[in-house]
Amino acid sequence: MWTRFGDEPLKEEKVHKRRSTWALVASAVVAASLALSGCGSGGGAKTEGGKTVITFWQQKFEDYQQAWFKKEVDAFNASQSKVKVDYQVVPSDTWAQKLKAAQAANKAPDVQTTNYGNIAAAAANGELTELDGLLPASAFADIKDNVKSFVTIGGKHYAYPMLVEPSTVLYYRTDLVAAAGLDPKSPPKTWDELIQWATKLTKGNVKGMTIASVAADLGWASWGLQYNACGHLPVADDWSKSTATDPCFQKLLQFYKTLYQGGLMPKTPKVGYADASPYGQGQVAMMADGSWAVGQLKETFPAMVAKTAVAPFPSMDGDPTKTTATLGGWTLTVDAKSKAKTQAAGFIQWLLAGDPAIMASFFKASGFSKYTVRTSVDQALSGNTDANSDPFMKVISDKVVPYGKQEPSYPWDIALDFGTAIEGAMKGNLSIPDALKKADGQINDVIKKQSLAGTEPTH
Amino acid sequence: MALLESAHEGQPPAGAGTEPGRRTRSGRRASAPRRQDNVTAYLMIAPMVILLGIFVMWPLVYSVYLSTFKISFYKAPQFVGAQFYQYVLESSDFWHSIWIGLYYALLVVPTGIVIALLLASFIKTLSGRVAAFMKVTIYLPAVVSTVIASVLFTFMYQDEGVVNWFLSLVNHAPVAWLNSPRWALPAIAVPGIWLGFGITTLILLAALLDIPESYYESAKLDGAGFFQRLWYITIPLLKNVLLYLVVTGFTLAVQMLDLPLIMTNGGPVGATSTPNYYIFNSFRDLTPYATSYSLTASLLLFAVLGTISIVIFRLIKSDKAVDG
Repeated sequence: MWTRFGDEPLKEEKVHKRRSTWALVASAVVAASLALSGCGSGGGAKTEGGKTVITFWQQKFEDYQQAWFKKEVDAFNASQSKVKVDYQVVPSDTWAQKLKAAQAANKAPDVQTTNYGNIAAAAANGELTELDGLLPASAFADIKDNVKSFVTIGGKHYAYPMLVEPSTVLYYRTDLVAAAGLDPKSPPKTWDELIQWATKLTKGNVKGMTIASVAADLGWASWGLQYNACGHLPVADDWSKSTATDPCFQKLLQFYKTLYQGGLMPKTPKVGYADASPYGQGQVAMMADGSWAVGQLKETFPAMVAKTAVAPFPSMDGDPTKTTATLGGWTLTVDAKSKAKTQAAGFIQWLLAGDPAIMASFFKASGFSKYTVRTSVDQALSGNTDANSDPFMKVISDKVVPYGKQEPSYPWDIALDFGTAIEGAMKGNLSIPDALKKADGQINDVIKKQSLAGTEPTH
Repeated sequence: MALLESAHEGQPPAGAGTEPGRRTRSGRRASAPRRQDNVTAYLMIAPMVILLGIFVMWPLVYSVYLSTFKISFYKAPQFVGAQFYQYVLESSDFWHSIWIGLYYALLVVPTGIVIALLLASFIKTLSGRVAAFMKVTIYLPAVVSTVIASVLFTFMYQDEGVVNWFLSLVNHAPVAWLNSPRWALPAIAVPGIWLGFGITTLILLAALLDIPESYYESAKLDGAGFFQRLWYITIPLLKNVLLYLVVTGFTLAVQMLDLPLIMTNGGPVGATSTPNYYIFNSFRDLTPYATSYSLTASLLLFAVLGTISIVIFRLIKSDKAVDG
């Protein structure tokens, strides 16, 4: 080959060949670029065997919830021949980055679980489809009045609610309480009494109490107690400035600090606030947790149920009408870029707003540890003795929910800054005034940089 | 060197003692094959250059472009110029995370190198079979997944874990290793050192074995003791290897993500929030602000890491190809 390099025809052939090679490389690059850029963009809704496919991402919750969702999605897919729901469970610790990556690639799920606190921000950013034209008015009329505002922004519905659950309730071991010479029928009513109980119940390897102790948990799990201490959260109502340095918050931080530094709670918890395992395994005598812990105790630690009593979380000054818990919960939303909005909304209508028996089966599976959001589901459960006779839920319904407040919808950064202040005070990193001052500066910084002043949502 | 010299025997080295004109003529004579060589060389590096261009250079340039916008995946991006650079540079949390990264690197890299040097010196003195066994044993942590090591050490640091059990033997109260702002970073540095010293030991052992034994023999004849031999022979001849280990160790350590993510979630009170963890956590926030902020913070971290590498190179003046 090399010996014939000087031959003219061959030179041409070689040049041609080289050009062909470059053309091939260029075509490959262009094809690859098109393939990469073409991912997920353009075209209509995905179809499979004549059915429109919609993707549904569910954030992973308790095991029974995954089983319930799967059963109902299968039932929906079998009930008709036009839509197929592709159901996927996403672990909560990877939810945010997975969703964001999907949004960036125009591959966000058509339907997703969204908590009440995220609806306002997502709607403001244009991420959610307005559901009013897609679901019948009767579906929205069925939502209980105290929940309607949770899913409404500027008079429009951006989500359909599924459940409500108070974030903070006190659980305590009646046997250990009696053994410590305390009266199980008269649970602590003030923070001081709670600390006295925790002190008396801390014996050997059993700690008196467990409550959130890391910033990521404290950020949301302390909302109810922030309301309790000050009557408001550490941000002005119009989101124009921080109120973290209000003196009333010092008492809240002191309360957490006393529990932690007094050795009344585990200093190296193995699980987060939402997980009732340390209580279920007998490592602590009292627990602050959401109402969902009732379901976990019944399902995973049934032996502990008979030895457990539930009470409203103590109020700072003993006033039982002051808020101690926020009412959180989950909804289903339709992505604004979904190519099958009607079908996605149709699935939500079938699952959450349709036959009340479907959602009734969910609350039954939860051990009635969550609250219904529809009048018709309440009616469907009215004849169910389990739903009305559960002693734990009766206490929560009568003494916690009526005073609960909606979760804030300001950016998570603010909640995390305040949670970090509580954690700093607990772990001795900063004095209480310094921790609050630092949080104040950081919250004001978030307000300024994210231009939040005056953007609080109106319902 | 001796081999190279003999290979050049009979023909003067290029340019040495030649007239400028002759050099030009010989250059002309060699130009055609040299051009062919160049074409071959370019063709050989082309795939890597193309891949780097597509997957590194272009994304980097595009990232810089994107960092000048407030990015939303649902609304038109809003041009904000260098605003996010200002936000990141003003953020005390960003600088705190850089400090945490440097502190972690300071805990892990020098300790890891000293332990590795001691182990390598020890292995060098062992017979073949025992040395092979030791090498395998020491290298084992390097093949353990960081996730597994994180979980293992998390259990060891529990109130009733093995570390606190040792403390109880001397009547010391349990320490909340992973939940104390003071101890959390040193606590996660321990698995960091454990995971890294296997490969460092092997690299240092190879470098030690490369030092001719005759140097030590002559030094001994001249009456040099162990520390003199270490100071005047071993360390100078390991300089380039040590420089490599320090630079790569530092840049890798500053970028640590897995250990704080799994063991402490960046806490307590941000005590283990390394730069990558901080950026990752910022990205996890679902606001459009967080997307642009984390992107800009990543680009600035790139600049910070480059600066650190340059400083290390300057501090340890590298000799080019010190040959034994």
